[in-house]
Amino acid sequence: MNPANHQIDQDQLVIRIKAREAEAFSYLYDHYSAAIYGSISRIINDEDVAQEVLQDAFMKFWDKIEQYDSSKGRFFTWMVNISRNLAIDRLRSKEMKKAGKTANIETYVSGIERDNLSHLSVDTIGLKEMLKSLREEEQFILEMVYFKGYTQSEISKEFDIPLGTIKTRLKMALKNIRTVLQIE
Amino acid sequence: MNIEEYISSGTLESYVMDELTPTERTEVENAASQHPEIKEELQKIELSIEALAFATAVNPPSDIKDKLVAKIANEPNIEKEAPVIEMKSKESFGFLKLAAAASIIVAIGSAFMAFNYWSKWQSAEDRLSTLIAQNEQFADNYNHVNQQLGKIQNAVSIMNNSAFKRVTLNGTENSPEALATVYWNETSAAVYLSIQNLKELSKDQQYQLWAIIDGKPVDVGVFDSASNGLLVQMKNAAPNTAAFAVTVEPRGGSENPSLETMQVIGNV
Repeated sequence: MNPANHQIDQDQLVIRIKAREAEAFSYLYDHYSAAIYGSISRIINDEDVAQEVLQDAFMKFWDKIEQYDSSKGRFFTWMVNISRNLAIDRLRSKEMKKAGKTANIETYVSGIERDNLSHLSVDTIGLKEMLKSLREEEQFILEMVYFKGYTQSEISKEFDIPLGTIKTRLKMALKNIRTVLQIE
Repeated sequence: MNIEEYISSGTLESYVMDELTPTERTEVENAASQHPEIKEELQKIELSIEALAFATAVNPPSDIKDKLVAKIANEPNIEKEAPVIEMKSKESFGFLKLAAAASIIVAIGSAFMAFNYWSKWQSAEDRLSTLIAQNEQFADNYNHVNQQLGKIQNAVSIMNNSAFKRVTLNGTENSPEALATVYWNETSAAVYLSIQNLKELSKDQQYQLWAIIDGKPVDVGVFDSASNGLLVQMKNAAPNTAAFAVTVEPRGGSENPSLETMQVIGNV
């Protein structure tokens, strides 16, 4: 999927949500809940908790829409960061941290293989191809940062990898994904 | 500020992923407003993360939407409570009132239908464009894999060819972990390079391979670090080559090697 297709929708949606249009909220949910839920459920393994966070996130999109500033980034980036932060806060508050973040370099299994992602709404093959184009260490950093909600400095401490190396690898990973998806 | 370096520092990724302190955020925002390249890079990073989120989407259970829609509908909303104005009525206008009421119902009904069809059409359009985009992506993936396969077949045939000498280039003090391999055909002088581990360079730098002949370095061509683990064909190297080495040079290469930047070296 080419995310650029969403650009007009996103800007229009923001205007309509600011105007408190319930239809716009419904549209937002229909089109973005799966992408948002994916981001949350990779951080929180417990399905019930992940669903609560999803609801909190959408209520926050609706209630805090005035805080979104389009000059500072895309609407989706704003939404996904709110969702990730809610998920990470929940993980920490419930002391679920240990259960959620048991991965280490030896036991880490690519998150896309996990059961709860078996009902992916978009093509898994494309994603696997995409991840295959990454080097193993790039995949690992992307997994930890993007799929598991670690900050880059947390990975640095926990796995004893220099922060600069992590930044470079994350950069390369995202760059390769761009190349595969032809965003450049 | 060196924009290239700033972009390759990874700070922009941290910004998009909301991992910076408020001060650092302001710095990035200022930099982005001054340099269009930075703004463009930020946009690209956002799009990659978005693409990734859509490629890894998971459908939530269907009852959540109803709960949410009910929640926002219960919100106190001033606009909804429009004042009710009492209409003065006269018995003789009974029929007209009925007709007016009927026409309003028809109007509301058709407006609803129109909206309903419009949203169905919108969502069909949306799904169509998603499918087209996915289709294109599949085609791209296929082409990409096909090209990779061609390159791999070529690489394997060179690696299995006994006419090629395999020269391992080990990391120097500059980068002990660096590793590369040269496949060199002494008869035809052809040189192929395989990169196992060389660090990422900034955009204005490139690696340069040298053949050491009679103690003097001879240029065998420049290359970038991101060569996908496959063989890169370099310039020919004369039969009396004694060693190969790689240095870091300004993009385009240098006439004489900057020996202090030497990354790997290996004797034939």
